[in-house]
This record gives sequence, structure tokens and C-alpha cells, in this order.
Amino acid sequence: MSVAPPTVRRGIATRALLYAILLVFAVIYLMPLYVMLTTSFKTLEEIHQGNMLALPVDWTLAPWREAWGSACIGLECNGVHGYFFNSIKIVVPAVLISGLLGAFNGYVLTKWKFRGHKIVFGLILFSCFIPFQIILLPMARVLGILHLANSTWGLVLVHIVYGIGFTTLFFRNFYASFPDELVRAAQLDGAGFFVIFFRILLPASIPIIVVTIIWQFTNVWNDFLFGVSFASGDSAPITVALNNLVNSSTGVKAYNVNMAAAMVAAVPTLIVYILAGKYFLRGLMSGSVKG
Amino acid sequence: MSFLHINNVHKRFGETHVLKGIDIAIEQGDFLVLVGPSGCGKSTLLNMIAGLDSISEGELLLDGRCINDLHPSRRDIAMVFQSYALYPSMTVAGNIGFGLEMRKVPRKERREAVDRVARLLQIENLLERKPGQLSGGQRQRVAMGRALVRDPQLFLFDEPLSNLDAKLRVDMRTEIKQLHQRLGTTIVYVTHDQIEAMTLASRIAVMRGGELQQLGTPQAVYDDPNNLFVAGFMGSPSMNLVKARIVEQSGLPVAQVATDGATLTLPIVRDRDALRGWCDRDVILGLRPEAITDPASANHGEGNIHEAELPVALVEPTGADLYVVTSLGGTNVNARMRPGTPLRAGERTRFAFDVSRMVVFDPESEQRIRDAYTADVASLEATA
Repeated sequence: MSVAPPTVRRGIATRALLYAILLVFAVIYLMPLYVMLTTSFKTLEEIHQGNMLALPVDWTLAPWREAWGSACIGLECNGVHGYFFNSIKIVVPAVLISGLLGAFNGYVLTKWKFRGHKIVFGLILFSCFIPFQIILLPMARVLGILHLANSTWGLVLVHIVYGIGFTTLFFRNFYASFPDELVRAAQLDGAGFFVIFFRILLPASIPIIVVTIIWQFTNVWNDFLFGVSFASGDSAPITVALNNLVNSSTGVKAYNVNMAAAMVAAVPTLIVYILAGKYFLRGLMSGSVKG
Repeated sequence: MSFLHINNVHKRFGETHVLKGIDIAIEQGDFLVLVGPSGCGKSTLLNMIAGLDSISEGELLLDGRCINDLHPSRRDIAMVFQSYALYPSMTVAGNIGFGLEMRKVPRKERREAVDRVARLLQIENLLERKPGQLSGGQRQRVAMGRALVRDPQLFLFDEPLSNLDAKLRVDMRTEIKQLHQRLGTTIVYVTHDQIEAMTLASRIAVMRGGELQQLGTPQAVYDDPNNLFVAGFMGSPSMNLVKARIVEQSGLPVAQVATDGATLTLPIVRDRDALRGWCDRDVILGLRPEAITDPASANHGEGNIHEAELPVALVEPTGADLYVVTSLGGTNVNARMRPGTPLRAGERTRFAFDVSRMVVFDPESEQRIRDAYTADVASLEATA
């Protein structure tokens, strides 16, 4: 084993090259995050000195405090925290309801097949491919009729409707590989439609539930277009508030406050991904590979 | 009135006619095995009894009441599935008790019932485990426990042993049979394995292409097959089927079979009356391997032995037996001889044919040619 054969040595060289390339891309990818984080802890003076990549000399939490509680958005100077909770108020029901509806759809489309179930699934799937912009005007009209315009509940409804396509796709593919015999056994045992769903299928669906939550949470939280179109003023989500904060600063741009606000807006999705990320790939694979 | 009566049951999926009028009746305590090649409709029939598939035509009677339109859970039937179908997120105890829980049995009674079944199946130490932590044989037992705990009128088994390895399959087969004898339950069991069917059943229903080929005791189906399909399907090694010609010799029909040398003439003792009408016509003879032996092991007491010297084409020792292959009527024929018989391919030896066990088939309709009397006995046995 003193001299490695040439093929092994070539293998190591390729591997080193591979890692070097990956490292370069990782650095490129993480650079903006690094700049955002460091800038958010710097004072304005330090930022104006110009070195974007340097670590803060004087660590300060003031920009975070200002972004959270006192930055001016439009005419009000209460920071982004109100909008942060708006987003929570939109995301939690939107994710839960669209997830539950998707799970029911998947359950019915695979275990209680009816005439035309393929067409129905095809139509639901079709909604995944409709661009956001197309539905803006009709949706505004619908929200107006329902008296939900300019409210967080209006946004909840929009996100539920838009999310059902994806959540149905996820759950349908997951349940397609779920053995029919289990449903039949439960029927013989005397379990009905809902009992079978809640007692047999749902407890076995953790991986796909995690995938759905991550997917829906990220999409709804990061949405800007619907937020800016259907909610304004106090009911706007944090993405819209962030935009308004950055655009409404008069005079000197408070980059550190902007960066801190942007971090506040980004943290929840990061946390969800870090907590549940390891299930994400597993769940995405589970439909295709029988485990 | 029989306990389970399947009365002219049909199943159609759109244009395809899957079951074409099945008639089966069994008594309480019977072990009915539905056996046949894949696609013969046996699993469909089982699902229809369970209520998981609808009945297109005909009637299902269980203990005198029509169950056609009853929901599966109201038929008083339990089923063991091929994949066991254990609920993955519940413990073994939860799995076994689920049916009782759905029927609103109080927790304490439920616990007692689960314990009793667990003791019966020797799985008491597994009750808190999840199905994923069990071996194949253990899952099988839990699946049976789930069926047993409800103490239903009828048990259905859908190929329950096909997912087990060969050794475990034989063990579980024995256990199922013991359980049936001990509890006296009525069972309908589906399999494609004819040995499973022979060993377990008190009644066998052989099916093919959505039609019932024969219903009877294992021995009747084995010794007295209705047609060529049943003859060839049941038994391993399978029945020898040989082309022959019926001719009349001194007023009696005999079967003439071509061999590599002289023509072999076998006297006919069974179904003689029916075969009188077949003189100078071609037929197919059916002879089980154990009905062709060496002269010393032949059943001289009860049988009707006819000996002939024939060439040996091949010798296949299995340890317990020695299968000797010769050629009759252009096909290879297996004979079962005493192990250790000193024989080699190319030699000639004496074969003893027990013609009392020989059955004869019409080569065109593939139906058995049998006397009216034995036909009556067979149909009597089927309905008994």
C-alpha cells in the first residue's frame, strides 16, 4: 500500500478538483448572506468607510432593534414587526388548510377512485402551471366580491387556492404507493372514510407532510406579488413591508437597518428548512422509490 | 342449508367476464381452498365474499342470510391479506385490537381479547412493537391475530404464505392447519400452490379462466379429476398424460400405447362401461407417477397391476424416491420407484402399472370419460 496505483491517484486528483469547484460555488452562493449579516451588525459610519467584506469593528444590535421596532415604513415608524406577524397570520392557516385539503385530495384520488379521477387530477395539476400574473385581475375581483380585499384573510384564501395544486400532487404521489390492502383491511375492521384517513394514512405520512410544509411555508412566506396586489397598509405581509422600508427611506440609506429587516424576513424559512430539511429529500424521493 | 353458499356468482369488469357463474357450497368448519393459476378469478371471488368487490350477478349466502349488499364490516368476516396489511403506525396490540375498537368494545375487554389471541399465537412479547420491527413470520401471525380476535363466522385468507421463504411457509402451513383443527373455524383460503391446497383443504375448488373446474375433497380432486386441466394442475410431479387408443380385445376395451418397442396394451378396469363406446378412438390416459412403480413396490393387494418391460430414458433420485423416466405414446413418463433400485439410463426394466388408478380423457373436449356411477359419486361428494 506504499505506492497507490495510478488510477487511485487520478481518482484523488479528480476529487480534489471537484471539491475545489464546489467550494468556489459555495462561496459565491453564501457571499450575499455573509454581506447581509455583517452589514446588519455594523454602524452606518462603518458602512460608509466602504469595505463591504470586512467584519464589523463595532458590533451593534441597534440596526436590528430599529428594523424590528422603529424603522419607518411609509408614514408609520413602528418597524417590521407588525408585518412579520401578518405574515405568520397568513402562512400558518394557509399552510395547514392547503396541506389538509391536498392530503384529502390525494387520499380520494388514490384510495377512493371515481369515474374521471384522472381528469380531475390532471386539472388540479394544471393549476401548478398557471403563472401568478394571469390570475391577478380575476382574483382581485373575487376577493372584492367576498369582501376580503386588503385583508390577511384574503391572502390566506389566495394562497390556499394556489397551493392546492402542489399539495395534491405531493400527497397523491405519496399515497399512490401506499398499499390499497391497508385500506381494505381497515374497511373490514369497520373503519370509515375519515377514520381510515386520520388513523391509518395520516400517521404514515410524516415525510410528505414535512415536504408539503416546507414547500408551502417557503412559497407563501416569500410571496411578494400577491401580497403587494391584494393587501396594502397594515395588512401587508413582511415581503411587501421590506420593499416599502427600502424604498421609503429618505435621505441617507440605512443599509444596516435594511439588511437587518431582510434577515428578519428570511429567518423563518431558514429555520423551517434547518429543522425539517433532512426529511425533505427523503420525502421527495419516497413517491418514486419504494422503501 | 349449507353455511356458505356461493350461488351462480358472476363478475364483470366492463366487457371482461371474470367469473362465469361459480357455484360452491361448504359447511360450518370446512376449510375451502380456492386454487388455480394466476388470473383464474380466485382472488376476485375472495374479495367478493369479503365485500371488497361488488357482485355482478348471483347470490352470496352466509349462514342463511344474503350478504350481497352488506358492507364488508357487517358481514362478520375477517380476512388475512397477502401483504399482511398491518397498520404501520400502530403497535401489534393496536393492530389486533383495531377491529374491536371500531366496534366500540370497551378498552378492558379489548385488552383481554388481544392478550388471549396473542397467547394463542405466541406473540405476547411482541405486543408493543411496530410492524416494521417484525420478521415475516411474526407479521403473518399478527395478521392472523387481527382476524382471530374478532371471532368472526368466516375467515378469508388471500395467499397468506406466498411472501414467506420456503421453510417458514411449511411451518406456517402446519400452524394454520392446527389452528383450524383446534378452533373449528370456517375458512376460505386462496392459493396458487396446489401442495398448500392438498395439505390444508377439506374441500378444494379448482378454478381456471373464471370457471369452477372441480369441487371436492383433496383426495377426490387428486384421484378422480374431472378434466385434463385438474389432472395436470394437481399433484407434483404432475400426472402423466399419455396418448393412447382404445380397442376391443375379447369383448373388453383396452388401451394401446405406443412405446419405443412393442405396443403396450393396458387393460381397462375403471370406467369400463363408458369406454366401451370409445373403441377405435384416440384418448388420453392419466396415470400418477406413484401408479407406475417397480413390480416389488406395486400395490398388489388393492391395485390391479399390469407389468411391462420398457427402456429407461433417465433416472432422477430425490432421496425419498427414485423417479424413472421412460417414453410412452411419444411423451416422457415419470414412474416412482423404490430408492436404491440399481438402474441406469439405456437399460430395460420391468414397470408395474396400477391400472385401477388409470383415468381416461377425451382429447378434444379434455373432459374425463367416466361411468355414470362414478360421475354420480363425484358430484355427490362435491355437494355433500
